[in-house]
Amino acid sequence: MRSMRLGLALAVMSAVLLAACGGSSTSSGGAASGTIRFSGWTSTPAEDQLLKDELAAFKVKFPNINVTYEPVPQDFRTKLKAQLASGTEPDAFYVELGDAAGFMQKHVLLDLRSEMAKTGTNASDFSGQVLGAFKQGDAIYGVPKDSNTLALFYNKDMFTAAGVATPTKDWTWQDLTDAAKKLTKPGQWGLITNADSARWAPFVYQNGGQVLNSGNTKSMLLDPATVEATKYYLSFKQNGSGTYSGALGAGIGWPGDAFAKGKAAMVMEGGWLIPFMKDYPNIHWSATELPKGKQRGNLVFTVGYSISAKSKNPDAAWVLLNYLTSPDNQKTVLHSGFALPTRTALASDPYFADHPAESAIFAANAYAKPFSWGINSGKVADAISAALERVLLGKQSVDDSLKQADKEVTDALAS
Amino acid sequence: MAVGTSPVVETNTGLPTPVQAEAHRRRRPYREWLASYAFLIPAFIVIGGFTFVAMVAAVFISLFKYDGFTLEWAGLNNYAKALVNADFHKALLNVVYYMVVVVTCQTILALSMALVLDRIMVGRGVFRTIYYLPAITSSVVMGLIFSWLFSPGGWVGGLLGIVIPGAREFGFLLHPETALPAIMTTTIWSTAASFMIVFVAGLQDIPAHIYEAAKIDGAVGWRSLWNITIPLLRPTIFLVVVLGTIGTLQVFDQVYVMTNGGPLKSTLTPVFLIYTSGFRDFSFGLGSAEAFILFAIIFTFTLIQRRFIDTTVEY
Repeated sequence: MRSMRLGLALAVMSAVLLAACGGSSTSSGGAASGTIRFSGWTSTPAEDQLLKDELAAFKVKFPNINVTYEPVPQDFRTKLKAQLASGTEPDAFYVELGDAAGFMQKHVLLDLRSEMAKTGTNASDFSGQVLGAFKQGDAIYGVPKDSNTLALFYNKDMFTAAGVATPTKDWTWQDLTDAAKKLTKPGQWGLITNADSARWAPFVYQNGGQVLNSGNTKSMLLDPATVEATKYYLSFKQNGSGTYSGALGAGIGWPGDAFAKGKAAMVMEGGWLIPFMKDYPNIHWSATELPKGKQRGNLVFTVGYSISAKSKNPDAAWVLLNYLTSPDNQKTVLHSGFALPTRTALASDPYFADHPAESAIFAANAYAKPFSWGINSGKVADAISAALERVLLGKQSVDDSLKQADKEVTDALAS
Repeated sequence: MAVGTSPVVETNTGLPTPVQAEAHRRRRPYREWLASYAFLIPAFIVIGGFTFVAMVAAVFISLFKYDGFTLEWAGLNNYAKALVNADFHKALLNVVYYMVVVVTCQTILALSMALVLDRIMVGRGVFRTIYYLPAITSSVVMGLIFSWLFSPGGWVGGLLGIVIPGAREFGFLLHPETALPAIMTTTIWSTAASFMIVFVAGLQDIPAHIYEAAKIDGAVGWRSLWNITIPLLRPTIFLVVVLGTIGTLQVFDQVYVMTNGGPLKSTLTPVFLIYTSGFRDFSFGLGSAEAFILFAIIFTFTLIQRRFIDTTVEY
């Protein structure tokens, strides 16, 4: 606990210092001034404090812009939708990836291109696919706050004990299968494979398969490549070298718990696992990119900052968002260990050299696809997760289960 | 207004005329009437605003396709969609199963606890408090505690593991066959306590002289229970069964906390489905339609129960 507080204090100090001395490369706010409202959900106390420090630093740099920060502790999405419907939304706010498609369809977000031009910010400044889910044609409706992909986290001691070479980014599916088998013994599993569309999809993409067609109008779940990837994903549970986190007992709520409590040798998770593992100093771990199938495949998880289409002061709102997503600010966030950057400018940051997990997660931005399947994302993800669950519980074969999911997804897309 | 001025009032004799006396008598109730309305206003605003207006709005919304942004006339389409939805059927089946088991068990358990309490002479208050504790515990807290008890390696599996090998690692909430019964147990545990208090009050209403008369006639123990206590408790039993039915048909919090409707929709209930339609899928029209169908079902159940349980009692 004490070390966490110390770390927090250091993070706060470095945030303030970096913000104070590193201002030179950020574009100036020009004539923008006035008061704007900014809203997002709250996270851990430490992360909330980081944002408050960022806003304080912004105030010093742009004294003409007044930011009213409106944090929402719970049900942010519901509140934002109600605000958008009644026309009382803040000027700038977080948009979750799954909501982006629906909001763009309703034209409630501002196309940021003209604002971006004013500060000389380009779409190409953002790495890989992180902008993808916030784009419609060439129009850009949000800038990613931070981003995550999945990495293969592994327990070094378990690999040593089993005499298996630690994973590299060049591992194939066969390597993963073999290692998982060798790392399994009573009370310990090789790999955690939950009934979660967000862990399954990377394998589909690695196998050259699709979840929906490119226009998000048709289910591709019965595509042979998708079926094959599903069989592979579920093979770990079926051959006993993997399991799902719920089966592991009290206190194992998600794969990260299984990993942190020494029940699993490998898990596929994002950057959120890194601060979590600080509470488990006895687990010696590292991480690398997900294995390759026929090609590389991964998912991008990101949250965007958007501006309301009705905002009276879009210039000031953009100055704030541009500041928060600026390379300087993202560098502060990266070094504090809370989130990974979205700017290509930080690709060669020295921080990555001695942080393999962060480095693997950032590298996958280049080829990962956004975790979004259009306006019906929620229903599609549900149908897939339920299909995986049916197989994990031994209720249905992979083929039958995917057929049912295909029908459910087709119905959802038609409604 | 000329019509209202009566000539009788103008003849002043010093004593109140019958008309004045009548007016005086009326004025006071009128003032009390005002005062009682003043006291009612806060509750009226809260209930009116958050229940009545919301209900009327829901009727309206259920006839539209509404995602929070655009209203699109849908007629009875939402109702038609809800009625053919396989998930809604599954949710109804689940909740009826849940209702039958929970209402039966909680009524019997509550009545048994009340009867025991009624007979205890020493420390009745202490036992009553202990029995009542689950009723004042938040359902979310109860849900969390019971999820731990039912999880693999939890206490329930641990206890069963003494007799059934392998039960220790069994996750009750992870299997479609056992998840709903696990939630039922949680609910019975907490609601039996609150209904126990209702039964305790009901038992105190039964006049002692009836028991005394029965005793003289030789009816004691089980006979007195079957022939006097239970028949005379009929109104209380009706109340408990009806409240139990309404409550179980609307179950939401335990499902939300313990299973989220899973595994494989085995714990999906209508209110949970209404919540997902409205606040996850943002199909407020469909959610409202589902809510009204559920209302119709609860209404029907209550009517049927009224018909079958005779609540008239004469002491």
